[in-house]
Amino acid sequence: MSPPERPALVRPEQGRLLGGVAAGLAGHLGLGALAVRVALVTLAVLGGSGIVLYVWLWALVPDGATGTAWAGEMGRRPPGRPGTGGRTPNRSRDILLGLLLLLIGLVFLGLRAGWGDIPGLVPLLVVGCGAIIAFSQLDEVERSRLATRTGAGTRAAVLRVVAGAALVVLGAVLLAVQGSGLVQSGRILVAVLAVLVGLALVLAPWGLRMWRSLDAERAALAHQTARADIAAHLHDSVLQTLALIQRQSGDPTAVSRLARAQERELREYLYGPPEVQHATLAGEVRSAAAQIEDLHGVAVDVVVVGDEDLDERGAALVAALREAMLNAVRHAGAPVQVYAECGPQGVEAFVRDRGPGFDLDAVPPDRLGVRGSIIGRMERHCGTADVRTAPGEGTEIRLRLPAARTVEQRGCDEASADQRGDGE
Amino acid sequence: MSVRIVLVDDHGMFRSGVRAELAADPTIEVAGEAGDVESAVAAVSEHRPDVVLLDVHLPGGLSRPGGREVLQRCAEHLAARPPVRFLALSVSDASEDVIAVIRAGARGYVTKTISGPELASAIHRVSEGDAVFSPRLAGFVLDAFGTGAGEVAAVDDELDRLSSREREVMRLIARGYAYKEVSRELFISVKTVETHVSAVLRKLQLSNRYELTRWAADRRLL
Repeated sequence: MSPPERPALVRPEQGRLLGGVAAGLAGHLGLGALAVRVALVTLAVLGGSGIVLYVWLWALVPDGATGTAWAGEMGRRPPGRPGTGGRTPNRSRDILLGLLLLLIGLVFLGLRAGWGDIPGLVPLLVVGCGAIIAFSQLDEVERSRLATRTGAGTRAAVLRVVAGAALVVLGAVLLAVQGSGLVQSGRILVAVLAVLVGLALVLAPWGLRMWRSLDAERAALAHQTARADIAAHLHDSVLQTLALIQRQSGDPTAVSRLARAQERELREYLYGPPEVQHATLAGEVRSAAAQIEDLHGVAVDVVVVGDEDLDERGAALVAALREAMLNAVRHAGAPVQVYAECGPQGVEAFVRDRGPGFDLDAVPPDRLGVRGSIIGRMERHCGTADVRTAPGEGTEIRLRLPAARTVEQRGCDEASADQRGDGE
Repeated sequence: MSVRIVLVDDHGMFRSGVRAELAADPTIEVAGEAGDVESAVAAVSEHRPDVVLLDVHLPGGLSRPGGREVLQRCAEHLAARPPVRFLALSVSDASEDVIAVIRAGARGYVTKTISGPELASAIHRVSEGDAVFSPRLAGFVLDAFGTGAGEVAAVDDELDRLSSREREVMRLIARGYAYKEVSRELFISVKTVETHVSAVLRKLQLSNRYELTRWAADRRLL
């Protein structure tokens, strides 16, 4: 596939005299700007068609600075302008213009039938218009083969090519029927139409196949991209971890830690929710547990029900929960089960381990790390924390944080007492 | 009485690992193995085991996940007397997989990281007709039934919501309590705990609850 090495048809900002039409046209067709201008003026003087052509091009050809469709070739699209956004009105405008031109052509046909004016000029003009429309679409059609365009954009391009071709045909017919009567030219038109319909019927399957192969190509490209993404991810994560595991195969703790961390990462990649912009309570709880797993190599299973945005009080709860998980991991080991539930009443969280447990009363007041970092922290935010443990029974730390609204309405003490009653 | 099981998993290594772990329990007999959807359906028909240990993601078959297709094609065995019971076992704990196999008739869902003795006890539980809920599955149930948001059924047999007792049981399981610990915590018998869990499983399978449907539909399930 070799795209035509031809500058896109735009109205350049530099070198324009009026609307930049002549300069753009000259650049696009590879002619001198002067020649184009002379030709346009000549056309304008001889019957005014030059003016029509100029105005039409002015309306249709995008400005060099803001143009989207033509100027967008190979990343030259101006930044900050989305690829497909704002194209719909453009497209319908183009189609309308095409129809308008067809109408003008028909009017000229009527004029010609009435009184012969300047022989050959109008049909040639119509042919030229059609050719330009079809011509200017070449770039776009080529680009659509690169599967970067949506189907709708391609369809619009095809429509415009068809409109251009119709104009050319109309002009050619006008040329051919010069001098003959209206009835006869009508007949010829019908004949030409019949031939075209026949051609379309013959070529339709071929066109369809082209279209399908384009679709298949596009799908294959998407598939390839997805595959490459997955391969890149696996290379960076799983393969690296496997290499690390082989090198540390003598150290079972390290191996199990690596495997666990990798498993979590892969699970997140495969089944995880799409990334959220803001921090949520559930996300923070999970990432705190993940950090502790990595740090200590002990599995921490997390179940979270419901979710809410993280505020200052939620962050305090997560910090206390983190401390509780650390305690469980240090003193009890796997398995550690974490459960957090967000509801309208507030947040509740539990950390349970199956360690030896301990006698709460036997722990000296100054030794209990639970006291300051967990209980104190919760109470500062109108929450509560308590520890349930007994020797041989494992330990469960429960944290409760009443909803902010309840605290506002009923005050700190009552809110926490309320939630305590509800939870039992 | 010993429990006969069929192991269905596409990884031979994993099958032999489970076989070795279950060998410690003399009351469990591995009658057959299968590695894809077709051979799984054939093995279930041939051996008529008490319990099928079923991997969720299986090669073969026409639909995904393969585990669900096995369940659908074994519908007659599921309904037979005595029935063949299925326990789903997977590395995936994506919610759509959990719900897919449970709604297709599996009586429980455990992840492959489960320890040997725990797996053995889960198999016994399923063979007796009870449900097996891991903390994670309990979390899914609480989430999908909106129980976290405080929705509780007024009457026990309402399909679309959990009763307050069922909610308590699910919460304790999500917190990592074994059935025995749940029973002690709530002052009810283990049998009653099992009844509640089975009721929740039934609701999970039969409920038309809006969230559950939407949840599954979002993941192109139904």
